[in-house]
This record gives sequence, structure tokens and C-alpha cells, in this order.
Amino acid sequence: MKPLNYAILKYFTTVKEACANDVMDALKGQYGDFKAFNKKAVVSAIMTAEANALLEETRFDMDGNNELRVYYRAHAEGASTINKYIKD
Amino acid sequence: MMQASVSGNPAAVAAKRKLSSDFFKKGIVIALLSGFLYGLYAAFMTLGMSVGIWEHWYGEDSGLSVFAVFYLLAAIGAATTDTCSAAWALSIAAIRGRIGDFVRTIKTKPGLVMVCGALIGGPLASTAFVVGLQQAGGIVVPISALCPAVGAILARFLFKQQLNARMMLGIAICITASFMIGLTGLEEEAPPGLMIGIFFGFIAAVCWGIEGCVCGYGTSLIDPEVGITIRQVTAGMSNLIILVPLFGMISGADTFGMLGQSFTDGYAMIWFALAGLSAYLTFMFWYKGNAMCGAALGMSCNGTFSFWGPFCVWILLGVIMGFEGWGMPPIAWLAAIIMVVGIFTISMNPLDLFKKKEHV
Repeated sequence: MKPLNYAILKYFTTVKEACANDVMDALKGQYGDFKAFNKKAVVSAIMTAEANALLEETRFDMDGNNELRVYYRAHAEGASTINKYIKD
Repeated sequence: MMQASVSGNPAAVAAKRKLSSDFFKKGIVIALLSGFLYGLYAAFMTLGMSVGIWEHWYGEDSGLSVFAVFYLLAAIGAATTDTCSAAWALSIAAIRGRIGDFVRTIKTKPGLVMVCGALIGGPLASTAFVVGLQQAGGIVVPISALCPAVGAILARFLFKQQLNARMMLGIAICITASFMIGLTGLEEEAPPGLMIGIFFGFIAAVCWGIEGCVCGYGTSLIDPEVGITIRQVTAGMSNLIILVPLFGMISGADTFGMLGQSFTDGYAMIWFALAGLSAYLTFMFWYKGNAMCGAALGMSCNGTFSFWGPFCVWILLGVIMGFEGWGMPPIAWLAAIIMVVGIFTISMNPLDLFKKKEHV
């Protein structure tokens, strides 16, 4: 089992793009009982990765509950860095 | 790289702008807080090393060699603080459910990079800093604040983080402010070990610059709370297991007996426990701030510790405890304002303020 932060980043290397809710849905089964597994922490981890050029924003909109939904993707260089440091 | 598509929904645009702005502001506040907490860390540790058994060790009849007073006591002081800090870090990680990730992360490549950063910034920098502090006084704090320049330059080359002319100017302003505080100390009654103390302050600055750059980037992969637990446990253990016994062997002092006395001196330990908590918070906010705003801005905000260090030492040791010789020169206040200007220069282009006004 990977640390939660690693799992969040690694997930982006497996999909075209994703928002925080997509990440949470994908990791819920394995990390659902983690205290740190909440939307605020996941958004913070994603935005920190964006600030460090591991991820980049692709688009944003409002979801059905009128909440902001920001999508990100791991660009080639970011994915390569993530895969270099975080092994499967 | 792909350009983000802009939503046509004005509410989404406003919410997105707020999210980005809040994240950036939060990063700056966290990085600035790390500077203030660093001041508390320096003040509590200096106080811990001034009372109880430490008063005897630094006294003339301690029977310790010059080497032991110079290096061993500094290493024991750093080890006591870092061990307290490691205990805080592990306890908080356990309460917040991060112990599992701590164990899982430390075995990975980024975890090992954090361990290396912690070894450079822990035993090496902490001991150099404490030697400097003991030899030259609070003046070493602003000297060690040169670490943002080292970190920002390294981050530019290692991680391709942005470092343009304006940011370099901001860093230069921060360094000038640090030197203003440092030079005032030179004009006052100089302690005998001033120059050697300043030299060790520079070593601490280089080591922390390397650590801030490497571990700040590591925190973009690792949860900051997990990262700081790795850092404090590594620093505490390496100080206790490597540095203190090494200096003990060289000096011929009863190292284990002294360590025992340090950890069982109740009055001094109160201050070391507070120093440990401040160290945990300041380094966590440092890592987190660097990861959220980039090494150049994060480390410059953290660099305000060059003001908060002497300020907190003066308040705690000079004003509250009534010890003499911990006063803060008035020019330090001016230097603090200049440093704030430097930080703003790094974070934003002052001309943008006027541009925005023109649009209104």
C-alpha cells in the first residue's frame, strides 16, 4: 500500500484528467478509513502538486451541487517525475 | 504544456479565482508563520541552555574543555531540542492518523531524500547554528537567514523553479536587511567569538538552504505532516546517536552522563519542550510554505525569522526573564520593514498595483 499522497499523484498518471471528487471516488476503497482522506486535504495535495509543476489545470466548471470542480492532468514531464519517484 | 480552458460560467470563474487566491495567500501566511515560530524556537532553546545544569556547564568551574563547551554543549542542546521535537511530531502524527504513512513513506525514494535533507539541516545546520548563537549571540540569527538565497538559487537549477530579475532583487533586499541587523551587532560591544560565530551562522545558512530546497520539493510528493515527522525523527536520532557521541569522544567528556542530566533537568526541559514544539511547527510550515508558493517566495517569507529571532530572544530572555545583553538594536526594526518590502518584491510586481488601478 502506498502513502495517501503518493496514491493521489499516481492516480493522475493513469487518467487523462481528474478532479478532486474523481480522485476520492477512485481511492475510497483503499483509503476511505484514513483520517487524512477528506476533500480539503485532497484539494490541497493536488494544488501543491500544481504549484510544483507536477500537475496542470485543464478546465473548471460547477457541478450539480453548485460546487466548483477543477480538473487537472499530469503533463508528460510531471508524469515522468511522479513515476520516477513513486514506483508501483 | 496545455492551456486551461476558461469556463463560461461567471460563478465558476469567480469561485476558481477565489480558490487560487486563497491557496496562494494561505501559502504566504504559513511561510510567514514559520518565520515567527522560528523566533520562538531560537528563544526557547537559548533560554533552556541558559538555566539549570546549563548554567553550570557554561560557567567557569564546569571542568569542561574549551572544545566541549564550544561544540559538545551545542550538540547536546540541539539534540535535546530535536528529540523533544521528534516526540511532538510522532505524537501529533499518531493523533492525526499519519503514523502508517510515516512508516510507508520513509522507505521510499522521496522519503530517503527527506532523510538526507534532514541530516544536512538537522545535526549539521543545528549544531553550526547553536555554536554560532553561543559564540556571537542573537546576531547569528539574521546571518543564518541568508538561506533563502541559497535555496532559491538551488531550486532554479535543480527544479527549474522561476527566478527572474525581480525575484533576485527581492532576495538581495532581504539579504541587505539581514546584514543591516548583523552589522549593528558588530558596532556594539562584540563578544569574543563574534567572527567564528558568524562563520558558523553562514554554514547553517548554506545547510538550511540545501534542506529547504530539497525537502520543500519533497513535500510536493509527501504530505508535509509526514515529511516533518521524518525530518524531526531523523534530526533527533542522528544528533543523539552520531553527533553527540562523536563530540563526546573527541572532548573526553562524560557524554551519556551529560545527556542524562540535560533530559532530567526539569526546569530547563520545560523550555526545551516548548523549543521542540516550536521547531516542529516552524519546520512543518517552512516545508509546507515552500511547497505551496515555491522555494524563492516560501524561503523569503520564512527569512523574516532574522527579525523574529532576535525579537523573541529579546522579549523572552531580556524583557520577561530579565537577563542582560539580549537587547534588540533599533535599526533591526527598520531592517524588518525593508525585509517585508523584499518579500513583496519577490511575490509580486509592484507595478501591477498601479496597472490594476488604471483598469478600474
